[in-house]
Amino acid sequence: MIDLRVERLAQVVCRHSLAAKPGELMLIEAPAVAEPLVIELVKAALEAGALPRVRVASEGAQLAFLSEASEEQLRTLLPSALPEMEAIDLRVAVHASVNTRELSGVDPARVAAVQESRKPVMDRYMQRSAAGELRWCVTAFPCQAFAQDADLSLDAYEDFVYRAGWLHLDDPVAAWQGFAGTLRQIADRLAGVRELRVVAEDTDLTVGVEGRRWIPCHGDRNFPDGEVYTGPIETATRGDVRFSYPAIFGGREVQDVRLRFEGGRVVRSEAAGGAELLGQMLAIDDGASILGEFAIGTNYGVQRFTKQILFDEKIGGTCHMAVGAGYPETGSTNTSGLHWDMVCDLRSGGEIYADGELIHRDGRFLPAFAPDLTPPEM
Amino acid sequence: MPDPRLESLAEVICGYSLDVQPGEIIRITGPASAHEFIAAVTRNVTRLGGMPMLRPSFPSVEALMLSRGSDEQLTTVTELDRLDADVPSKTLTIWADRNTRYMSEVPPDRQALWSRARRELNDRFFERLARGEIGWCGVTLPTQAFAQDAGMSLAEFEDFVYGAGHVSDPDPVAYWRSQSQRQARVVDRMSTVTELRIVAEDTDLTLDVSGRTWLNADGRENFPDGEVFTSPQEQRTQGHITFSFDATYHGREFGGVRLWFEDGRVVRHEATRGAEFLAGMLDMDEGARYVGEVAFGMNDEIQRATNNVAFDEKIGGTTHIALGAAFPEAGGTNRSSLHWDIVCDLRHGGEVYGDGELLARDGAFL
Repeated sequence: MIDLRVERLAQVVCRHSLAAKPGELMLIEAPAVAEPLVIELVKAALEAGALPRVRVASEGAQLAFLSEASEEQLRTLLPSALPEMEAIDLRVAVHASVNTRELSGVDPARVAAVQESRKPVMDRYMQRSAAGELRWCVTAFPCQAFAQDADLSLDAYEDFVYRAGWLHLDDPVAAWQGFAGTLRQIADRLAGVRELRVVAEDTDLTVGVEGRRWIPCHGDRNFPDGEVYTGPIETATRGDVRFSYPAIFGGREVQDVRLRFEGGRVVRSEAAGGAELLGQMLAIDDGASILGEFAIGTNYGVQRFTKQILFDEKIGGTCHMAVGAGYPETGSTNTSGLHWDMVCDLRSGGEIYADGELIHRDGRFLPAFAPDLTPPEM
Repeated sequence: MPDPRLESLAEVICGYSLDVQPGEIIRITGPASAHEFIAAVTRNVTRLGGMPMLRPSFPSVEALMLSRGSDEQLTTVTELDRLDADVPSKTLTIWADRNTRYMSEVPPDRQALWSRARRELNDRFFERLARGEIGWCGVTLPTQAFAQDAGMSLAEFEDFVYGAGHVSDPDPVAYWRSQSQRQARVVDRMSTVTELRIVAEDTDLTLDVSGRTWLNADGRENFPDGEVFTSPQEQRTQGHITFSFDATYHGREFGGVRLWFEDGRVVRHEATRGAEFLAGMLDMDEGARYVGEVAFGMNDEIQRATNNVAFDEKIGGTTHIALGAAFPEAGGTNRSSLHWDIVCDLRHGGEVYGDGELLARDGAFL
């Protein structure tokens, strides 16, 4: 039996997120397990007149490469990688997996080496995206492995994913467009702020955001979506942050991450489990210990932590920050092979101050700052 | 746990067929459902110092593009397509259908349009291959769908496929080297021939192979393998040939195909099954009515037809001709989007003459 929500997801991604136009070259990257969504994406792309091309990630192949490759092979970038990034107009990355722990036996330094070799591609991707030459969207296909990580049956997880995209609504595109208007207002207000201070349990962190752009995320680059983000001033971050949820990298979990920033840089990192991985990743290059992103999650259709960053960072009532590469369109100048998001829950007692004024408490913007963001029929 | 023969096949493919060298970029294409083999090949390529360029695909998407794409969407060759064709040092094509009829809903004219648009890319690929600038191997894996077409259980078909490739031999590469020497003797004899005449039931076909190069297919470009082949003089084929086995091409079934040639060109055709598609294939383009290949199957492990040309054309004691694209490395000049191999069994009374001298009888070279 065909789940009509798959088709709906593909349509929203193609029409709303990417706004695909005739003749545009669309690269769809997905693991084989996401085949049903890929098929619907190709249909939607063809309807829009675009030129879809599919890049399938084959189960077990990445592990085979990472296990056998020499240091030199790990650091080799295929000569096609950069020209490909230059050629495409649109990119959809579908997240799904048959086993989210598949790479757990691989030395993280090897994963990092591959990541590093891809830095020129990542840089160019960010540049073209910032210049408006390349539009992209990251989405997810509900699969058993993700359901398992979320402690849910596949059925319940499918409901979670599609509700997070508001695909249970008759007209999800209209709902996302209405939401976009509200988010823009919030972004406009944040644009006038010089410093943001986040206070929560074991957390008192100040980020400088003066002159940086805030981007409202209403389902264009991520789907599902719901956040406002910026690139903090590289040298201004100071204080402590303790992340409520495990930080996940390549299927590995780092528990209870605590970071201390001084002058923009991580000067101390601690974790209850996986501290070694954390230390390694923060050291992969110069930009890896600097925040590239600071964001506030605003999708109140997502309320549970499911170990998928695409959803977790959107949880209405959280904030998140990423160490590593920043988005140039925010004004960020930080470059790195890393972009690692970590989430801090603000729903029980968390506060955000904008230049000293309280704007967000217990996970909600104060009415004086922004209207309610709860989506319809939740 | 994957069949250990699959791992052994990957070793032979990477170490012998593709002969992966350090630094080479090895493109791996095939259906995503063949992920166990794709992973095994990735492992072996990487071990040998190569860089895997993974390009698995969804056959369902391919069929969808062809049936739903507009003319423009079908004919646009993108930069991604060019990079895929131009960047790799060597390419592995994996044939492993889950359903051999996956293209059957696609109208033949859509397939033709798609192929024509990619002609330039394909021609360049085959020219570079002929010049030895790049390498290629096509490997067929045992799947339920192929087993079904062959009228076998999967287990039986696996034995058949791995047997045909000698991958369970203690030293498969040694086997292929000795088979190569055996085939080289036939190549040497064929190279002295001008006029090749093939006589079998309802078949009497004459081809001119003068000035053309006979090639020894010994497990490097196809796997399993076992044939010698060339591309005949384009304008010189005369007579008629009847194909012995059923054949499936792009999801269409053909049976009892019979072709008549005059001055190289198919001038009359018949089929007991698939006749309606046969004409369409012959009219795909100008080159589709000319013979691009003539060959002799020399794999004696393969004795039965399995409705899969990758095996049928290798049956020891058969001959096959291909309509359409010729091999530049053989000296062939015919160009076409078609390359359709059709097999004629010589094992029961068939005869092959070279300039009037009997070279093979009942499928066996004298």
